[in-house]
Amino acid sequence: MKTRWEFVLLPSFVIIGILIVASQYVFLNGSFYKDMGLGRIGDSATMVNYIRFFTDSFYLNTLWITIKTSALASIFTLILGFPVAYLIARMRSHWSMLLLAGIVVATFVTIVIKVFGLIILFSADGLINQVLMGIGIVDRPYTIIGNQTGVVVGLMHFTLGFGVLLLYSVIQTIPRSLEEAAQIHGASRWRMHMRVLLPLSLPGVTVGALMIFNMSMGAFTSAALLGGGRVFTLPVLIQRTVMMEVKYSMAGTLAAVLLVTVLLINLLAIFLIRRLRAARLVIA
Amino acid sequence: MSKSKNVRRTFLRSTVAAVSMFVAGSAVAGDFDGVTLKVATWGGSWKANIEKVIMPKFEAMGGSIEFVTGSPQANLAKLIAGRGRAPFDVMEVLDAQEQDFFATNEFLQKIDLSKVTNTENLEDWQYSDWRVASWHTQESICYNRDKFAELGIDAPTTYADLVNEKLAGRISIPDITSGGGLANFAAISHAAGGDEVNVKPGLELITKLNALKFWSRGGEVVTQLQSGDVYAAVVHSGWCVRARNAGVNVATVHPVINDQHTGVHKYGWLVIMKSSENAAAASWFINEYNEPEFQLEYARNSGVVPVNHKAIEELKSDPVLAEMLQLESEDINKQLRIDYSKANISDWTDQWNRTVSQQ
Repeated sequence: MKTRWEFVLLPSFVIIGILIVASQYVFLNGSFYKDMGLGRIGDSATMVNYIRFFTDSFYLNTLWITIKTSALASIFTLILGFPVAYLIARMRSHWSMLLLAGIVVATFVTIVIKVFGLIILFSADGLINQVLMGIGIVDRPYTIIGNQTGVVVGLMHFTLGFGVLLLYSVIQTIPRSLEEAAQIHGASRWRMHMRVLLPLSLPGVTVGALMIFNMSMGAFTSAALLGGGRVFTLPVLIQRTVMMEVKYSMAGTLAAVLLVTVLLINLLAIFLIRRLRAARLVIA
Repeated sequence: MSKSKNVRRTFLRSTVAAVSMFVAGSAVAGDFDGVTLKVATWGGSWKANIEKVIMPKFEAMGGSIEFVTGSPQANLAKLIAGRGRAPFDVMEVLDAQEQDFFATNEFLQKIDLSKVTNTENLEDWQYSDWRVASWHTQESICYNRDKFAELGIDAPTTYADLVNEKLAGRISIPDITSGGGLANFAAISHAAGGDEVNVKPGLELITKLNALKFWSRGGEVVTQLQSGDVYAAVVHSGWCVRARNAGVNVATVHPVINDQHTGVHKYGWLVIMKSSENAAAASWFINEYNEPEFQLEYARNSGVVPVNHKAIEELKSDPVLAEMLQLESEDINKQLRIDYSKANISDWTDQWNRTVSQQ
């Protein structure tokens, strides 16, 4: 008798379905109704919230800020994370495991604590400003609160550990022998990185970048605490719309736009990677 | 004979009195046997104060108290999500929620005021069948005296005094979504020549204030004053007291709003939810909340101002609180009370978002 292994998967499929799809359905369905005040929604379906979103520069700017800060955080996280991941992946000593463990532990620290750490570091009397002013780079304390730079830094802080772990696993799949072969044949270290390591790691790096980007698009705490009530990303606006205005339908619309935007950007990235593969610029 | 009669009569009376006292005593002790009163309140010191003072008394009468913590807005959301079936019996609400709760009273049930004897120490307008005032905060300007002296700036008397190049990026203002956000926004609008209906002048003044940030939790203000990031903050005096206790040389200023008003206050109210089946316990809780003992505990730990006159009188003996809060009736009555029945909060929030957001 043939065992139906797919039934084993059924419970987890059902649980995931309830947790993700059902909870989202309530909001997404609500997005097609009008807010009637005090959390009540209208009876007939309408596109009024979507029309408002796509015709109002405030909402469109909020979407743009969300994409921009997430993209910048992803790029800088990759730039910072790749060398660290490479170093750990290529280490031959026991230090590599210790460093990896340190990064894993750091990812467990709640983001609120991480952000408050940043706020203290960048405070007027904090270490960074004392150093910057001490060596004359700035003449008055630089703040990361209440501006988009701060939000990008906060998002990087949120995703960096995760990014390093992702990139580490990508780099580990690339045999060290390929790097050695390139260098034996006269390639400089820079050329080896650009012509061997980067093309081989690009699909993995792209997936890592997308995951970091997706995390950043949905991140609330960093944007709320470092944005200082001045930088509105979509998650921040969703929270305000639900908690303060109690406009569930509009909040549902914002959530739907966020979800669809993330999906579209991911699909676009996959499409571009396929095109690059077809053009043999990326090795699968 | 007559002596013996008297002895008998006295014995009888004493016995009846003793039995009555015992019966009455057991009735009080067992009044709330098995009752679990669910209280929607803030977390932190707010909840801790209730746990310390009110909870033991309620437990001594056989009941227990559970907390549903969150801001009044968050608890309103829970109420709406439950379609009026509140997951709590009694709730702390803010005066800014006038239209959410008191315009129709549809979420509420009447309070048995005969059980809230502490109303005799409240102003008439501070209680009705639907709500009883529980505390108030005095929204003020909290400024760092050392920093102002360093910069050669006089102590502010109005919000407009904070519009100063030397203070650019050194001011913290409550976000409209924060606890005191609406009260302060309305007060700034009044001070700038607007009112509850026309908040544009307030938004213009806020833009000129060039704030470092719009805080959402009072604790942030204390941290910012301590770190030196902020030299002045619009915040309720209680947070300024905490900053002083944390070692920052701060003082409060109750800003001049207009000819009639100096300072602004925000009121907290207690209400009983319509779906509650523990109305008697909820009324008892409301009365206990207004006991001077609890009101003083709250004031000393959280910096909020009592509504009970007796508690206010006692608070005057605390030198720091007496300095930083306005405790004379004359001063309290001069503070601006926002008329939220005229306010369109959704519109305020929308205008605020568009003005303060960095586009």
